[in-house]
Amino acid sequence: MSSEADEWMSPRKRFLSAVLGGRVDRPAAGSATSVATVEQMEQTGCFFPEAHYIPGKMAELASAAYEIIGFDCIMPYFSVWLEAAALGCRVNWGDKYRMPDGVSREGLGITDPSQFRVPEDFLYKPTTSALLEAIEILRRRYPNVAIVGKTMGPWTLCLHILGVKRTLIWSKIRKELLKEWIKLLKEVSIEFAKAQVKAGADAICWPDHATGDLVSAETYREFLLEVHREAVRRVGAPLILHICGDTVDRLPYIRETGFDCFHFDSKCGDPLKVRVIAGDRISLMGNINNPKTLLYGKPEDVMREAEHALEAGVNIVGPECAIPTRVTNENLKAIVKAAKQFRNKLSR
Amino acid sequence: MDESEFLNKIREAVVKGDIDGAREIAGEAIKAGVPALKLVNAMSSGMVEVGKLLESRVYFVAEVLVSAEAMSQALEVLKPYLSVEGTKKYRGRVVLGTVEGDIHDIGKSIVATLLQTAGFEVVDLGVDVPAERFIEKIREAKPDILGLSSLLTTSLPEIKKIVEKLKEEGLRDKVKVIVGGAAVTREFADEAGVDAYCLDAVEGVEICKKYVGG
Repeated sequence: MSSEADEWMSPRKRFLSAVLGGRVDRPAAGSATSVATVEQMEQTGCFFPEAHYIPGKMAELASAAYEIIGFDCIMPYFSVWLEAAALGCRVNWGDKYRMPDGVSREGLGITDPSQFRVPEDFLYKPTTSALLEAIEILRRRYPNVAIVGKTMGPWTLCLHILGVKRTLIWSKIRKELLKEWIKLLKEVSIEFAKAQVKAGADAICWPDHATGDLVSAETYREFLLEVHREAVRRVGAPLILHICGDTVDRLPYIRETGFDCFHFDSKCGDPLKVRVIAGDRISLMGNINNPKTLLYGKPEDVMREAEHALEAGVNIVGPECAIPTRVTNENLKAIVKAAKQFRNKLSR
Repeated sequence: MDESEFLNKIREAVVKGDIDGAREIAGEAIKAGVPALKLVNAMSSGMVEVGKLLESRVYFVAEVLVSAEAMSQALEVLKPYLSVEGTKKYRGRVVLGTVEGDIHDIGKSIVATLLQTAGFEVVDLGVDVPAERFIEKIREAKPDILGLSSLLTTSLPEIKKIVEKLKEEGLRDKVKVIVGGAAVTREFADEAGVDAYCLDAVEGVEICKKYVGG
């Protein structure tokens, strides 16, 4: 069995090295999306919905990923709504079992970009400032653990601000107008990312849900490839792209963006296939199935899937996306166990 | 242009998602004396084609929404010329909804559109629908089929809850229950005790047709 003494890297060094594709003492374990569960809420005394927007509770609940589960990173932004709320969208913050969601299907209800202004105090709004403060708290408390921030990319912000249906229809028939919105909202994503880095985040997760369930690979190329390249240049810190669903067809574009790491879904299929397409241009994070394996599987099922991901060359093993809050700590700990045992396998 | 050319053109406009084109062709065809009913059927056949393109991943949800919009705008033009009855064979009634805790409507709306196109009467309860509301509607509308959609893994337990409630209320054998959506798997559907799992909208429609006798 591996002992802690065999591990010569701090979780922070291990996670960052894995994100950047460098050498590691063993594979990293963790996630760039929420791993908060009801069990962790009960253990930390910090529950949803307060832990979505109260800095101390965000930090405390997020720290369970390291303290209780043993992951190499801590990520305190559990939902996808902090920026949208700061931009004026009404959000139903849910409860301890349910993730937040927008109140209106129409977003802000405006379509003309000239009618939209990013508030000057965007970074000081209750939700955005809460995340920045949570990151500051975590940075002070955990110098040796990777602190991961999160900023919604402009595509996801369009889904929130314009509504899903309108965004998708415009991607086919009002392309120039949608591009104008993306250009405008890209600035929100980049500025929020930079502020999180300044607050102490080591890396930033950039969810941008141009998924194979909604749009084609060509839509990704046309609307987002250049925007993502620009984000990589301007943010400067390590960036992790997250897109749910099957993204295999757009992976040849994603690997050209310069993102350091891609957090991918089990719907992509065998992680080996994803590694082959990604080549060595981008690190991989994921892709343990949520509904089947983590929620309803046993620890041994989780370990089996985690080992398979690691054998395929996934750099940071973890859930495919934000996990259902009813997942057990036991199942999450099995991911860390698999990562630790994998080192022994390599050295045998 | 003769009738068959109009019918081909309007079908093609729907398949390609040409919103302005579909509306214009509908207007011109009516002026040329093409029966509105035939135009609707041509568009419906276009939507079936769109469903197949979605299934084979040539189309994505974005393209389907544009095609559905093209059809719906052309229908606005045709409405005054249609006697609603008899446009297509009536197949049966389906109550549809996205379960409580989940507000995703696209997948469910596509299923609703395709079902209507196939001749079903659809009672769409919308999103975030509590189990009690489904039960209430089943009593009232007496549908042949109940369709449940769930995109979030967090709302999966709702499906089990609805099945349990149907049993408690003595309604389980009165209605076929089908489920679909990104969060649902075949294994989960078996475990939840529903009648069928639908991988996508097209399969959902085929299953519904089977339940009402083809």
